Amino acid sequence: MVKPFAFILCLASVLSAQIGDKELRQPLKDNWYEYNGSYDSRRHSELKQVDTANVHGLVASWMFHIPNAARLQSVPVVANGIMYVTQENEVYALDARTGRQIWDYRRIPAYQRSPNRGVAIWGDKVYFTTTDDYLVALNALTGNIIWESKFAEYKDGYCSPAAPLIVKGKVIVGVAFGDRGLNGTLHVLDATTGEILWTFHSIPQPGEPGNETWAGDSWKAAGGDTWLTGSYDPELNLLYWPIGNPSPDFNGDVRMGDNLYTESIVALNLDTGTMKWYFQFTPHDTMDWDSVQIPMLIDATYEGRPRKLLAHADRNGFYYLLDRENGQFLHGSRFARKLNWASGLTPQGKPIRVPGMEPSLKGTKICPNSSGATNWISPTYNPDTGYVYFVALEGCGVASKNMEKFRPGGFQYRATGDIPAPDETSRMFVRAIDMRTGELKWEQERAAAHNFGGGLLSTAGGLIFSADFEGQFTAMDAKTGKILWHFNAGQKLNAGPITYSLNGKQYVALSAGSDVISFSLFDNK
Amino acid sequence: MGSYRLRVPLLTCAIASCFVSFAQVTKPKNPLGNGLEVVSQGHELYNKSCTACHGRDGTQGDRAPALGAARRYFRLSEAAIFDAVKNGIPGSAMPASGLPDQDIWRIVAYIRNIRSTASDNDVPGNVQNGMEVYQGKGKCASCHMIRGQGGLIGPDLSSIGAQLTLDQIKDALTQPVRPQEGYVPVEVTTKSGEVIKGVAKNEDAFSIDVLDMQGRLHLFNTDELQRVVHLPQSLMPHNFDKTLTAQEYQDLLAMLSRQARTKVHREQQGENEVGR
Repeated sequence: MVKPFAFILCLASVLSAQIGDKELRQPLKDNWYEYNGSYDSRRHSELKQVDTANVHGLVASWMFHIPNAARLQSVPVVANGIMYVTQENEVYALDARTGRQIWDYRRIPAYQRSPNRGVAIWGDKVYFTTTDDYLVALNALTGNIIWESKFAEYKDGYCSPAAPLIVKGKVIVGVAFGDRGLNGTLHVLDATTGEILWTFHSIPQPGEPGNETWAGDSWKAAGGDTWLTGSYDPELNLLYWPIGNPSPDFNGDVRMGDNLYTESIVALNLDTGTMKWYFQFTPHDTMDWDSVQIPMLIDATYEGRPRKLLAHADRNGFYYLLDRENGQFLHGSRFARKLNWASGLTPQGKPIRVPGMEPSLKGTKICPNSSGATNWISPTYNPDTGYVYFVALEGCGVASKNMEKFRPGGFQYRATGDIPAPDETSRMFVRAIDMRTGELKWEQERAAAHNFGGGLLSTAGGLIFSADFEGQFTAMDAKTGKILWHFNAGQKLNAGPITYSLNGKQYVALSAGSDVISFSLFDNK
Repeated sequence: MGSYRLRVPLLTCAIASCFVSFAQVTKPKNPLGNGLEVVSQGHELYNKSCTACHGRDGTQGDRAPALGAARRYFRLSEAAIFDAVKNGIPGSAMPASGLPDQDIWRIVAYIRNIRSTASDNDVPGNVQNGMEVYQGKGKCASCHMIRGQGGLIGPDLSSIGAQLTLDQIKDALTQPVRPQEGYVPVEVTTKSGEVIKGVAKNEDAFSIDVLDMQGRLHLFNTDELQRVVHLPQSLMPHNFDKTLTAQEYQDLLAMLSRQARTKVHREQQGENEVGR
């Protein structure tokens, strides 16, 4: 029990404090400072007040309704007692103990679309991106606008749904364009001024290494968007960013070659933007399998020596373990049962393609389907079990292609797509695999068989929290997958859960369809 | 980025359609501008020519609505108002005015003025001097922020010119006003006896958020407090017409009326023909 006096002193000082690199480098515990929780993106919290023995006593502490929201994807950020949640062009600051609104910021954009996945925090400001491609800096205590900086052009078709990542006063923002044949960029802006410091082009320009992996001038309308928040290693000073699919999605004939750096993770120097290494999961993808899954950075012993690892379950159906210092492929294994496009991986981690397994004029049955064997929803890693947890889809599609040509002006450029294979069912699972070997440890099926729903959270209490699209928020035993608690939110779930601690009490929270809900153990005082 | 396309094709179509509708038509602007002289001439013409139906000075008349009010069916743009006055509104009692175009534009300027916020008017004064008054003698910046510069205890003024009418800004500077929600002066005493003065950002039966005079935010549950005292008067001084010279006061008005961040965005979107 914290005495009121101590608590008041604590709040009075803390709520004017600055958030800096020191705070953001700490292991994930009382605060949830960024979209992926911490730089390593493992979404594993050291909090353990809620554990396998008492999670059955978890109850909703408060709920906050976001006006006009329908399908929130915002991951709440919690810093010093304030929770920040977003929907497109709006930010809400809430008292994280009670859910009561402190301030809101609403902006009328030049162009409206959805979604928005959350804020980042640095110094005394919070940052978010708008649907018309501004990065906006707000005062964290009051919501006053400090500056705004335009980094892309919505009129061309660019938007920016991902939460920014902030490292050492640099704000990293990506772009999305929904398969419109644009080329992806990653922008790094000064957190103090909004000035653009450098831009990474995910499609190499002529003369740059990698441009030769695009036949002819196909690099001009090539894809490779950057629509999810990446990770950062402070010791290596490297950003790890996942890159999306090539364009057109389903007709690879017009872009022969490996199509770098689509379907890759790129490692970029934070200060210069120089690429140190890349690893491409699906060279010459023709199934829209964006490699836009959150890269989890893990420090662990591998083959007898401590290594800096990067774990990644890809939409193409394989699980990968890389050395994140140099991009070396260490391990790869198939996690999707329904997988017919590749027979395995080479010792270098390249897929061994099965001939003919690509979209055709008449249609080809390909597994996984274009939704992928996993997708953007958050995975997690628990160092106590050594398991990687992620959401997996077992499904197949009949994929076809056509000769659609690129048209500028924001038109989609997919050259057709896939439909669910009529002879296959679709099933969704939460899976736990051994981080080093990829061996399946347990799986728990979700009710929603077609939609990935929300992401996962791991805690030192031995729990995995999972947000099912159909509305059930569940807690599972991290070792066995046994469901220990569930809560019907009464609305679709599309966002990743978080946890934080205030005044000695652990909370677990998530954005449901139109409400933010925060849970804690029942307290009968 | 294809995970939802198969699931929600209609949404995809809706988004795609937005990408082909960016072009904006250039609309005619009032050739006489909307300066105070033009507005004054328009006011006179309006009260002579329009008040058989509409009320005087923009109020409601016997046969037609108050044009100074907000109605979602009202014409908004200069071109749309001009069209209504010149040609009438088919299907309604609004006739074509028969006035010369120049006079119609004067009336347009007046109608826009009575509906307008301060930023829609060319308020005379030296804007740069006004900013110096704001930051210096007026001490406004110690409480208010404009574009990231200034204090937090008062409302942000980055768009004040697009939010308030000129008269409302004048009132705020010269009349005692009730504090607005989020800026109610408050003095709370904690159970340990600490006294904190500031403004209540939010308050309900069980909690209160106080932004203190040093810019720190306190989130209290009311059971952590001995006492909460609300002060009836806003912290905002209301004697700027006396403490500033006439020129300084006018320059301050000119500067404040031009703070219109939201107007910038409205112009980027294109102005709506109707609705408000």
